Amino acid sequence: MSSKSEITLEKIRSVVVNTLPGPVAGETLFGPGGALDSLGLVSYLADLEIRIGEEFGRELVLASEQAMSRSRSPFRTVTALTEYINELLAQ
Amino acid sequence: MTTKRVILITGTSRGIGHTMAEYFLARGDVVCGCSRAPATIQHADYSHFELDVSDEAGVVKMVRAVERQHHRIDVMLNNAGIASMNHALLSTAATARTIFATNFLGTFLFCREAAKIMVRQKSGRIVNFATVATPLRLEGESLYAASKAAVESFTQVLARELGPTGITVNAVGPTPVPTDLIKNVPKEKMDALLARQAIRRFGSTEDVINAVEFFISPRSSFITGQTLYLGGVNG
Repeated sequence: MSSKSEITLEKIRSVVVNTLPGPVAGETLFGPGGALDSLGLVSYLADLEIRIGEEFGRELVLASEQAMSRSRSPFRTVTALTEYINELLAQ
Repeated sequence: MTTKRVILITGTSRGIGHTMAEYFLARGDVVCGCSRAPATIQHADYSHFELDVSDEAGVVKMVRAVERQHHRIDVMLNNAGIASMNHALLSTAATARTIFATNFLGTFLFCREAAKIMVRQKSGRIVNFATVATPLRLEGESLYAASKAAVESFTQVLARELGPTGITVNAVGPTPVPTDLIKNVPKEKMDALLARQAIRRFGSTEDVINAVEFFISPRSSFITGQTLYLGGVNG
């Protein structure tokens, strides 16, 4: 398990990518041209919350008020999700 | 990793939740329970979490702790509930918030978190707790009946959302069972309520467990989104 100071964007991105159910051709996770459909996203985020707990020792709820109130979904791309998780872990 | 069924039950310090926990433990299941009060059950296969079911962080922490320990959740029983008997015009906003927080928000949070684990394992049974007070439109129980109507509606929609995942979501609607929940209800009110049931007696915890067992049976994989009222009450 990584301590707070050891958490890097690279590590988070690695968890984000490695938790995906399969290889993703591009950056897009959800939305037009995305790798995941609605149920796929639900399942993926559930997996990801558990993996974040295992890797970083934090119990995050990714579908939070913060995520839902944004004009651009943090779930749309690998990069957006990585940066969003980084924000949550920094809090 | 245990091969026993892992069952989460809310509101296990007393009443129906306590009896259900003891029942499933006696059946050889692992039970993880919670209440605002300390544990009232001592058993090798029982673990207790002190929390308020409407506290999101507490619920998340509990469900993930159970997942870490047992690696799955087979059954989620959303039993925790509170009642308030009063005329709507004499009820306070604070009472409304408290009742909806425990009865609806608590059910929602545990459904959401348990279903995340169940989606991963592609199986699971969720049973929520409704009440005959909703279909009987009981005077004096407007807030309680409304909060449980929300639970029923949520159960039906969640059943559809989780339909493709192998998870079933149902609700049992007990009649009054002699527990602390109804101890302050006047006898004449209770008698009037029982008179509206097809079978005019109090329910027992065994009656409730029987309905729960039906929903969580492996043979009930094609039954979801249903509310089963006891005592011959129709929705």
